[in-house]
Amino acid sequence: MPSYKLTYFKHWGRAGVLRLLFAAGGIEFEDVRIERDQWPELKPKTPMGQIPILEVDGTIICQTKAIGRFIAKEAGLAGKTPLEAAQADMIVDGLSDLQVKIVDFFIEKDAKKKQEKIKEFAEKTFPVFLDTYEKLASSSGHFVGDALTWADVDFFSLMFFLKDHLPNDPLKGYVNLSKVRDNVTSNPGIAAWMEKETSH
Amino acid sequence: MPAYKLTYFNARGRAEPIRLLFAAAGIKYEDVRIEGADWPALKPKTPMGYLPILEVDGATLCESTAIARFVAKRAGLVGKDDLQQAKADMIVDGMKDILKKLILMVLEKDEIKKEELKTDISEKTLPEFLSKYENLANPSGFFAGDSLSWADVDFYNLIERVRAMFPGDHLKGKPNLVKVMANVKANPGIAKWVKERPESAF
Repeated sequence: MPSYKLTYFKHWGRAGVLRLLFAAGGIEFEDVRIERDQWPELKPKTPMGQIPILEVDGTIICQTKAIGRFIAKEAGLAGKTPLEAAQADMIVDGLSDLQVKIVDFFIEKDAKKKQEKIKEFAEKTFPVFLDTYEKLASSSGHFVGDALTWADVDFFSLMFFLKDHLPNDPLKGYVNLSKVRDNVTSNPGIAAWMEKETSH
Repeated sequence: MPAYKLTYFNARGRAEPIRLLFAAAGIKYEDVRIEGADWPALKPKTPMGYLPILEVDGATLCESTAIARFVAKRAGLVGKDDLQQAKADMIVDGMKDILKKLILMVLEKDEIKKEELKTDISEKTLPEFLSKYENLANPSGFFAGDSLSWADVDFYNLIERVRAMFPGDHLKGKPNLVKVMANVKANPGIAKWVKERPESAF
């Protein structure tokens, strides 16, 4: 059994989905969460000066999606065929396109600009995204085939991340997407993990 | 043998890594290039409203990186095991930041701002990126394992785009990266494609 060591900050951020994938697969891993002031010392030791990083028996992988895909493969959540794997990849890539827009308003320092960006996101970008993704999800609540894949988990993770920043349940009225969320949260490993993460 | 139909604009752009991979493996595919005027009619038929798309086995894939990885897998160019594949994935994803900056610079209409962005790229972003990537490539000139992978091909394509916008010997003093470029150019399929591919503005 290889050793897995995931390093990130404490918050959900970019590593939330990675921890979920380990949980979904029932895979043991070292969940290292560093303080902000530990980062400068670690940064030069990372491949690209960023976290999260995953150390697998001494080899270091960076880039969230590369790590996510790796864990998904180990967990049997990367799709059953190369085509399914590609379909999962495209769903995940579309999610990270949205994440770029989220980060954009997140880091905006000008209060007025920030409000404008949030408004544009909430009223235009996000509904267009949800409309698109509703069509890509099946009525059984899967983005790929008829079983859970990391694409579903990644979608749930981003919705979870967003929930504190949006006033209402964003998936209200989106039948397929709500089913995706239900499928993810009813995965036993994920359910147990979320219980731990959200209770303090 | 499944039929592959790639659809994009008449440009290298986001489709070129995919075309290079088809060429590297000698896999036949339909290289559809649409006119801008034809795009609005096609757009609602795509999974997420943008190109490129790849139609294969009755399914339509979008997202250029997802498509490229799929083709790379068919071409045997993803890496030998899950860890090597993860290494190739991280190399490809790591190029997105600089690509984004290049695109922003190209699209910038304000000439002064454009020059600032250009200077930022040529004096900061590009050298930092190349230093990092020199350390991530091995002395044989491969990013993942010890044979050609799509990470090497993607890097080659990026450097060609960079050179078109920023002439200069950017790989001076970076022997690993020089080797990566040579390895990719030595692939007969790629060499042939680069010589024969349609001309386009970008």
